[in-house]
Amino acid sequence: MTLTKSMVLASAVALSPAVLAGGTHGHGHGSSIGEPGVASEASRTITVELYDNYYEPEQIEVSAGETVRFVLENKGNLVHEFNIGTPSMHEAHQEEMMMMVEHGVIQGGKLNHHMMEMDMGNGHSMKHDDPNSVLIEPGKSGEIVWTFSNESNIEFACNVPGHYQAGMYGDVTFK
Amino acid sequence: MRKRLLTGLFSLFVPALVFAGEYNLTVDRVTIDTGDFIKEGIGYNGKSPGPVLRFKEGENVKINVTNNLDEMTSIHWHGLILPFQQDGVPGISFPGIKAGETFTYEFSVVQAGTYWFHSHSGFQEPDGAFGSIIIEPKGREPFRYDREYVIQLTDKHPHTGDRIMRNLKMMPDYYNREQQTVGEFFSDAKTNGLMNTLKDRMAWGDMRMMKADVEDVQGFTGMINGKGPEQNWTGLFEPGERIRLRFINSSAMTYFDVRIPGLNMTVVQADGNNVQPVNVDEFRIGVAETYDVIVRPRDAQAYTIFAESMGRSGYARATLAPKEGMEAAVPTMRKPARLTMADMGGMHGMDHGDMDHGSMNHGAMDEMDHSGMSGMDHGSMAAMDHSTHGSMGADKEKPDDPFYAKGSGIMPEAANGGKFLSYADLKAQKPLYEEREPTREIELRLTGNMERYTWSINGVKYADADPIRLQYGERVRFKFVNETMMTHPMHLHGMWSILDVGAGQWNPVKHTVSVQPGTTVFMETEVDAPGQWAFHCHLSYHAAAGMFRKVVVEGAPQASQVSAELVTNEGGGA
Repeated sequence: MTLTKSMVLASAVALSPAVLAGGTHGHGHGSSIGEPGVASEASRTITVELYDNYYEPEQIEVSAGETVRFVLENKGNLVHEFNIGTPSMHEAHQEEMMMMVEHGVIQGGKLNHHMMEMDMGNGHSMKHDDPNSVLIEPGKSGEIVWTFSNESNIEFACNVPGHYQAGMYGDVTFK
Repeated sequence: MRKRLLTGLFSLFVPALVFAGEYNLTVDRVTIDTGDFIKEGIGYNGKSPGPVLRFKEGENVKINVTNNLDEMTSIHWHGLILPFQQDGVPGISFPGIKAGETFTYEFSVVQAGTYWFHSHSGFQEPDGAFGSIIIEPKGREPFRYDREYVIQLTDKHPHTGDRIMRNLKMMPDYYNREQQTVGEFFSDAKTNGLMNTLKDRMAWGDMRMMKADVEDVQGFTGMINGKGPEQNWTGLFEPGERIRLRFINSSAMTYFDVRIPGLNMTVVQADGNNVQPVNVDEFRIGVAETYDVIVRPRDAQAYTIFAESMGRSGYARATLAPKEGMEAAVPTMRKPARLTMADMGGMHGMDHGDMDHGSMNHGAMDEMDHSGMSGMDHGSMAAMDHSTHGSMGADKEKPDDPFYAKGSGIMPEAANGGKFLSYADLKAQKPLYEEREPTREIELRLTGNMERYTWSINGVKYADADPIRLQYGERVRFKFVNETMMTHPMHLHGMWSILDVGAGQWNPVKHTVSVQPGTTVFMETEVDAPGQWAFHCHLSYHAAAGMFRKVVVEGAPQASQVSAELVTNEGGGA
């Protein structure tokens, strides 16, 4: 969710502690949640199915430092997100997602791609292009390759308004 | 065609998968203690509210109801889809259950969610004859929770239902304690000028209504699960748990505005049907409606469930707490709501005298037509989004709820300034029916004369009315035009009410649809249930006064009727 290309670059420095470091809000590790990985270095592929409004599986186990390729299949009737982050990161992202719904970017079962590209003024657009997250329409698939760090307070979650609260998140546990 | 296929499939699988449960209910005289007063009432299995009945989707249930009263009784399974003979409305579904007799209901449970049951005889329901139903779905639910509670609301009145009806007939403002006072007249005169205040009062007098008619039966104690505010029903939780609260409004007459200070609520079900989750701070629950919400208290503290009546004449209160005996602050009620001229928007055809020249009345009507339903009707969701929200980053101005007349005195607002649930937020989680054009439209004007306490549909009360005849297989669009100053929760038995919120195929499916004063609301019904059904305002005294119709579904293929009965009988034998 952001921001035009230039804004992404400009804000990358400012955002990176918030986006990639899970530890900013108190639980003290100060470590990052990890970083985008390269598919060729992935130790394995985990397929997560997205339903209305839950994941299957709801728990995945990884090792610190492991690179995992996630294949994400939306088997539901609604747009869903797969986002890797800490609970507080998800909470912050939910406000942005609310805006996407209010502006018609996410319409139940549809993503309004045209709206996502639209200039919202002040250099903002409503692209959803953070590397730790992907939005997927019903029937479609997405992919994230992620290298986990040793930050262990991590959930994968759907931050479409109401979905997280309804229980659409899963735990990442560390071996 | 599809119907036959389904029926065929059903009969193939039913014998293999049948789960049959037998339940026993007794209808008893009971004592009800609200904390404010103790009264005689009616309950089930010795208590009011009666038990929580837990069914499973696909189960064939057999419910033995024994009438221990010295009068006729009945039980209606509110919101359940079943053969009409099992629907429990005396004179429409069956003759009723005589004193001392046992009647056995038998039907297949074809749905899941939160529902309730109540007597459909006389005023037994306001006297306490209700309980709740939880139906576990076959598959997994589209949300998760660690524990659940039924939160069954009611408006317990010290008088019996019969006595309330007699008093209302004699003096319609008998229970209206919020009447405007001489003092209020002078303070209004000071603010608005003497002539304006006089005109305002005279206009209201002409309409045989008072601004304070938000609630026509006041003087009740709000109760949750049989406990008054002082008795404080308490549900326990462990911090961090997700709790599903199944709110059911079993009130005779009262709408409640529900909030839990300190907790966000995520609405996941309305009238037993899953909706796309909506995060809210507060919601209004109409009489007979249900809403399921999920809350997640993270702190080891108590939280108050506070439900104040729409007219602010009473409240119900309960507590969620980590330990029994803990409690949180109980908010004070907000100022009583006053109806405005906008709420009279639908009252055309009345002699308003001077008001005919006033801009308010007509303005309200016109604006309603545009900003309300007709705009939504044709507008897409995207169009609505653009019209109601500013540009990105701009301060959000709270859009008016399109289901209320513009400028309505009862327009809901969240106590904390946050999000108040609107019908416009309700979108089906998974559409139950394919979307299609309605085959015809039926206009139902909700009408009444407050002076004589008559309530009616299209100006005709039940006793004088012909049934509404529907053809099996059609999709009817009902147009409710509320020409009264009160909110009417319209409940169609036996078939779903697809509420038009402008979301097309995602329109939510309900069993009870509130129609606010001065508004027009549309709902569509797939006529898929043969037989005869009740269709009425669920305010007990409005239904009894005549805002009620019988609906007859004609032309069902013989096969579907027979097989429906067969399934029921098989269930009984299993």
